[in-house]
Amino acid sequence: MNLLSLILWWMGLALEFVILARGLQTRLVAKYPYFYAYVFCVFGVSAGLYVGSRLSGDFYNRYYWPTQFVTLIMGCGVILEILQQALESYAGAKRFLRSVCLAVVTVASIYVVVKITSNLSNFESSAAVERDLRTVQAIFLATVLAVVFYYRISLGRNVKGLVIGFGTYVGISMMSLATFAALGQHFQKAWGFLQSASYLFALAVWTVTLWSYAPNPVPGRGRSDPDYQQLSGQTRDKLEALRNHFNRTARQ
Amino acid sequence: MIVLILYLSIGVGLLALLTVLALRKHSPVEGSAHLFVEARGSLLTLQQGLLPSDLIRRIFDRRDLEYVTGEMPAGIQRLFLAERKQISVQWVRRVRLELRNLMHFHRGHSRFHGEISVLTELRLASSFAALLVACRFLETVFYFRGPYAAPSMVKATASAAARLCATSEKSMSFLNAANLRPFAEDSKRGNATI
Repeated sequence: MNLLSLILWWMGLALEFVILARGLQTRLVAKYPYFYAYVFCVFGVSAGLYVGSRLSGDFYNRYYWPTQFVTLIMGCGVILEILQQALESYAGAKRFLRSVCLAVVTVASIYVVVKITSNLSNFESSAAVERDLRTVQAIFLATVLAVVFYYRISLGRNVKGLVIGFGTYVGISMMSLATFAALGQHFQKAWGFLQSASYLFALAVWTVTLWSYAPNPVPGRGRSDPDYQQLSGQTRDKLEALRNHFNRTARQ
Repeated sequence: MIVLILYLSIGVGLLALLTVLALRKHSPVEGSAHLFVEARGSLLTLQQGLLPSDLIRRIFDRRDLEYVTGEMPAGIQRLFLAERKQISVQWVRRVRLELRNLMHFHRGHSRFHGEISVLTELRLASSFAALLVACRFLETVFYFRGPYAAPSMVKATASAAARLCATSEKSMSFLNAANLRPFAEDSKRGNATI
């Protein structure tokens, strides 16, 4: 392991610790439980791999892929979190997205399960399975974004950060894994760097955007509309004037 | 190599969407009252002003062109074609604008309703998209080839837009003044009821 990789590793651990500590301090852990469970899991895996690789030479190579798959599956929780938080107030958009995503995930999961059970013995095939799982996540995220844009849904800073951070990591990870699967060992160093750098970018985005609670804007559905309030105010004034007029007439 | 290109395309597409999200300004969140009124106005404009077959026949009738080219001097012919082109471009632009208003209303309205039909939503989304593309295409054709270049497409677009208006009208029936119950005339003294 070279110095650059080690620096990226330490920085990643430090940022994960900051995100978790800040999440506990601001109680964001309760608002975004899947996301913090994911960060906690990655933090545990990274720290465990670091300590293990210090103690035993081949520890890292032996446990990298199994732990990577655990974090990969936990990453699906982040997507669920995004889906749940982004469309919380939009029942129609949520129902639409659920149906579309269910179809995408069913087809992709069958494909991935068949691949995992058929061959997971060597490094290249493990990378190919991770690439395929990342592709499922990328398609899922792209579908969520398409629905968010189509229905013109506003996202708060927290959810926007979750999407941008996780999406960038998934996108770059998938592209580097695909290139690695195509080019083989020649690309291994670059792949390792891209993987770490994109995850570090995601962590930096999460640290900034999840520093404090920023919920999604709540749709008013017309009741708080200024022209509605103006209209009701004017009507109230006119009714008041009418009442005064009738009272005066009655007294005369 | 083709597989690699496919994966890279998905990745680049996702990153492009993320860039749009990062640069996007705050969208309006309310399903505000003016949106309903605007949509109702658009529906009326389309149904009564822009899509009646009489109007479409008047603008795109080839007999006018045949008469002018057969009977009138070249200057009048040029003037006629220029004005008819301007009218047809304005017509298609206005149709597109009103369709966009209707589409915005539908998106703003349906995103809140849990009982929406996914298939209907997909059908409506594709219909709106196809119509908007068709309008843009017609505008380009009118601009470069004149108002008589695509008569069958004008008819198809107008009838598709009319069908879409009928679907939209159903979802906006509550805005029809005719559907409101009139004032009941059975009020007691000092206790008006509607």
